[in-house]
This record gives sequence, C-alpha cells and structure tokens, in this order.
Amino acid sequence: MAQRGHGTRRVWLPAAFLGAFALVILGRLVQLQVIQHGAYARQTREEQTADATFYARRGSILDRNGNVLAASVDTWNVYVSGRTWRAPERSGPASQQLASLIRMDAVALRAMVAGKNGDVLVARDVDYATGNAIAAAEIPGVVLLPDSKRVTPEGDVGASVLGLTGLDNTGLAGIELSHNGELLGKPGQAVYERDTTGDPIPFGRSVVEEPQPGQDLVLTIDRYLQQMAEQKLDAAVKEHRAQGGSVIMMDPHTGEILALASSPGLKYSSLDLSDKKQVELLKNRAVTDLYEPGSVMKVVTAAAAIDQGLVTPDTSYVDTGEIRLYDVTIKNWDDRVYGVQTMTGVLQNSINTGAVFMVEKLGQPLFHKYLDAFGFGRTTGIDLSGEAEGIIRKPGDEHLDPPWSPVDLATQSFGQSISVTPIQMLSAIAACINGGLLMKPHLVAATIDGRGVRHDIAPTVEGRVISEQTSATIRMMLEKVVNPGWPDPMQPRNYTAGGKSGTANVPVASGYDDRQIASFVEFAPTDNPRLIVLVKLDQNQDLLTGRVAAAPVAAAILDDALNYLNVLPSDVNKQVRR
Amino acid sequence: MAAINQPYGQRRSLPVPVRLPGFNGWVLAAIVIAGLAAMLPVLQNSTATSRGFDVQRLQNEQTRINGDIRLLEADVAQLTSLPRIQRRAAEIGLGPAETPIYVTIDEPGPAPAKIPAEYLPGPAPKTDEPESWLHSLLKWVRLGQ
Repeated sequence: MAQRGHGTRRVWLPAAFLGAFALVILGRLVQLQVIQHGAYARQTREEQTADATFYARRGSILDRNGNVLAASVDTWNVYVSGRTWRAPERSGPASQQLASLIRMDAVALRAMVAGKNGDVLVARDVDYATGNAIAAAEIPGVVLLPDSKRVTPEGDVGASVLGLTGLDNTGLAGIELSHNGELLGKPGQAVYERDTTGDPIPFGRSVVEEPQPGQDLVLTIDRYLQQMAEQKLDAAVKEHRAQGGSVIMMDPHTGEILALASSPGLKYSSLDLSDKKQVELLKNRAVTDLYEPGSVMKVVTAAAAIDQGLVTPDTSYVDTGEIRLYDVTIKNWDDRVYGVQTMTGVLQNSINTGAVFMVEKLGQPLFHKYLDAFGFGRTTGIDLSGEAEGIIRKPGDEHLDPPWSPVDLATQSFGQSISVTPIQMLSAIAACINGGLLMKPHLVAATIDGRGVRHDIAPTVEGRVISEQTSATIRMMLEKVVNPGWPDPMQPRNYTAGGKSGTANVPVASGYDDRQIASFVEFAPTDNPRLIVLVKLDQNQDLLTGRVAAAPVAAAILDDALNYLNVLPSDVNKQVRR
Repeated sequence: MAAINQPYGQRRSLPVPVRLPGFNGWVLAAIVIAGLAAMLPVLQNSTATSRGFDVQRLQNEQTRINGDIRLLEADVAQLTSLPRIQRRAAEIGLGPAETPIYVTIDEPGPAPAKIPAEYLPGPAPKTDEPESWLHSLLKWVRLGQ
C-alpha cells in the first residue's frame, strides 16, 4: 500500500506541475489572443502595411495668351543617414561622391551629418536630373525624397501679382494664396501590404487613391503689358524720386486686369524673407494701401450730378477762388480765380470750388449713395488677398475723430476726407466711361481642370451706376481735359484719350503734411475705350502734380499698349491704306 | 526445381494492356492532375512576383517620364520667356519701333498666335434640334414652286 501511495505521488506531482504549466500557457494564450487581440492585430497590420502620400501637381499659372508665368517641377530632397555615415571609412568616399553631384564641399557635408543618428536633410530641391544621378549612384546612406518647387520662367515679371509658395507648396501671397484651393489639387494616398524590405507585395491588399492635380489658372494679365507697366513705373519712380507707386491697366468693359504693377514690389531675384522689410513686399499695394485720390474724384462728383440732371457740361457758375463753409475756407489747388466756368472747365482746370458747387446741388445723402454705388467703402472683390475697404467719412459714424462735418462733404467732392485703393478708383472711373456699369475687377480669366478642360470665368457686372448717356457725356468731358486745345504731355501720340489727374497731400493727425500722392487716370480711344490706366506715384520728392508727373507715363503706356493690342491709331493720317 | 517450359532465347510477350494491380490510368491521371495543381500556386506566385516587379518598374518609369515632361515643359517656358526673346532680339539687332507705321489692308489678318489646344475653349455643343413640321412644310412648298 505504501508503495502504491508513493507511486501515485510520482504520477500526480509531475502531472499537477505539467497541468499548472499548461494552465499558465493557456492563460497567456487567452491574454494574447483574446484579451489583447485587438492591440496585437493592429500592431501586425501596422508592420505589414505601409502608406504613402502622392503629392498632387500644383497647377500652373498662365498669362492670357497661355504663356507660363509659374509652374511646378519635380525636385528631390537629399537626406543622409547619420548612422550609416558614422564610420569614417564609409562616410569619406560617400561624401566625396555626393558632394561632387550636388556641388557641395565634402567636409561641410560630413560636418552636417556628424554626431547625428537620424536622417539629416543636406540638400533641398535638388533638380530632377541630379536626383536621378544620385539615385543611380547608390551612395551608401543617401536617401532621396520627392518634392517639387515653383519656377517662374518670366523672372520677376508679375511677381507681385503671382505671389509665392512656401516650402510645403502652399500659397503665401498673391494669386498663389488667393487661389490656393484650385492650384493645390488633392494629394493621393496609398495603403498597401509590404514585404520585409518594405516594398509593396505584388497583388497584395492595397487601397490607392490617385492624386488629383491642381487646376491651371489662366490670368487676365498679359506678360508683355505687365513687363511694360513695371518698367515704366520703375522709371517714373526713379525720375520723380518717389517712394513707390502703382500702375494698373484694365479693360473698362470687362474689368479684366491686363497689368498690375506695384513699387516697391516682390522680386524673386532678391527675395529674402528673413528681412522684415521684404515681408512687407508680399502685399500688393495697389489693392491693400489706401490714399486720398484728390481731384480724380471730381469725375465721380460730376458723373453723379450729371446723372441726376442737376448740371450739364455747359452749366456755368462763377469761381471766386474760394468758398467759405462754416469756419473753413476752401481754395483752389493753385490759388487761382477762374471766374465764369462751365462744368467741363471745372474738370479741365481741376477747380475745387466747382466740385463743391456740384456736390451742394447733389446733397449729402445722394452723393454718398453714388459713392456706395461706385464701390467706395467696400472691397472690389478682386482675386487678391488683403484688399482694403477704404474709408468714407459719413454723418452718424461715431468712430470718426474728428466727427463728421458738412465740410467733409465739400472736401470729398474733390477727393479729400475719403480714402480709396487704386483698384477702387480705377473701377469707379471705368464705370464712368464704359457705359455706366461697375465691373468687378478680376485677374483670373479661366481655369483648366485636370482633364484639360477650360472653364472660362465670365465678367461680373456689379450694377449700373450711371446712365449710358451720362457715361458718354463724361467721356466727352474727360477728352477735353486731355485735349485742352494745344499739345500736352497728357496726350497719347496715336490715340484720342480722356483722363483726369489727382494730387493730394498725405493726411496726418493734425491735417495734411507736405508729402503728396500724384496720380492720373486715362483711357483710350475715347469713342470706344479699350484700355484704362491708373498711374500713381507716392511721395514724389520733386512735388510735381499728377498732371505733370503721372500723366505722361499714362499716355506713353496707352500708346505702347494699344499698339501692342493691334488697335489702329485714332488719327487716320497715321494709317496707310492699301 | 521446376524447369521453364520455354525455348531459350525466346522472349515472353507482355500482355496488352498492362494491368498493374490497383494502379490504373485513372490513378495516374489523378496523380498528374494533383501534381499540376500543386505546381500551379508555385507558378502563379512566381508569375505574380515577376509581374509585380514589372508593375513597380513601370510605375517608376512613369514617374520618371512625368518628371521629365514637367522639366521639358519648364524648359520650353524658359526658352519662350520674354527676357530670353528680348535678349535674343537685341543680339540680332531688333528693337522696339520708334515710329510705327500702321498699314490697313483689305485682306484677312494673320492667323492668331497658336495656343495649345488644352488652353482653348472647347467646341460649341451641337444643336441637333429636329426641324419643326411647319418649317419642313414651308421648305417643301418653296421647293415645289
């Protein structure tokens, strides 16, 4: 019996031990396969699957004739594995080989990587062919990742309109920013099973979403006219020792901007974003900066008064050289007394008292109603970011300091106590001469989708501001401004034209100081205007008026631009008929 | 010891058909089919792997070609850029006209500069509206006269 009991122990003790061991294993299995199943399954999936992002090609930006202004090209970013290059016998030849391909110093290259374990970016946006050569060389520790960069074949032409993109290919300024959504496209995504080397398993499970390339934008800008505008503006700024300025060319009937130059403006060739002053250049002053337009505003005043039937071009009044309003005396810009003058004469001689005469007939509510209709005090909707709304001093505005007074209405009639952007002013004058329609200024004529289908963007009519008859009258009056009866630098050589100058001092807290802004708005030909141009010079040190400093620039632009656009000269004697 | 009742040198003819015990043609065919079936996944895997590498190679090739196309497009844009045209014009002695002469001729003008087809508006949609019976009748009546 004792032997049997001993024998039994010999059996059940190991059996119990093995049983307990089996239970432990079973428990562990339950833990791994049941309790922690989700976590391990996820880990396995993560190890067996990989994902990749395919960057969508950013759309190109073309001028109105299909010339490329900005496009994306493929590049490579070159990384070096610090771990692989730790051994000098490996990093020496590898760095020599890589340095010769990317034109860097091998010692500098090794210094960039020294002491680092991870991948170190040693060269960004290496051109595509060089990247392919690096890949073919199979240099140890060198990894290439695809990227893209923006190229601008026209150099600095139109840079202030186009703007720029950041390192992540997202727009930072200009059209690149305002139309980033269309240009960017949609990146593709791939999730796939991979083998031990990380390569996709052929015909393994995969989900692939193809990248959607960004849309191409066809601008209303003409590269030749843009270059011309920039060159003429730079020359004028230099000649008149101005701080800067703007030139805008627009089709008055459609609101298409053919050129938009701004000085100082963005230049890719000298761009340094670490300089805070250069960051300022990212904004386009023609749409972001406000100024008091001065006498150009008399055109709007006259248009409103004529449209209401309150005056005609021949309505006369007596100019005494000044007007006393409350305790303020308003004088003419040149302190002259013109005597009996018609409304046409008011525009020809830019008489302040004549503008006050018209606005007094209109009255404050009606005049401000016209200012609203002409688009002052709100953005024009041009497709550039950061557009300013402008400021109109109106009664009842509690934020004004000093508060509104009837003198403001008088000064607004000749372009003071009101701040506008150059693009607002040009749109308003375009409405005065195009038949009376306020057109939305725009820079994009069409988009081209990924399938190559072009979608034209129709011009937008914001509304009728004045009648066609009033518009024709204003055209005639402005033609007389440019053609006073003797040759004048305001006149284009080959085309009939109309226009109006403006010279306004810069407002400061205590009133106005000696700095001035000289501008001129001109259109041609007068019978059917094809082009309207605004030239604005900021703080020209020679203190010449808009008529003397800005008008000849506008006239020269009209001559050259209309010639380029194949518009026949207005003077038939300059045409040869065969 | 039993003697073989067969003349020396004369071969015994095999019975036709040979019938091996329990190993007939069906079994052979089944073995061949099973063998082929076993080989099929191997062949399939091998082909799939090979095709997979081909696909990867072609995808890389496609990426490279797309990159080359974009580079070439950028090169074309560079070569047709205004600064280059103006530089070349200056090199061959061309410059802006000082006093242009405008000639009006009673002939159609030159064809406009060619724009890549993709940047041109698409063709106008065809209007295949059927002719009304009234128009058809009027046309028929006129023809009859």
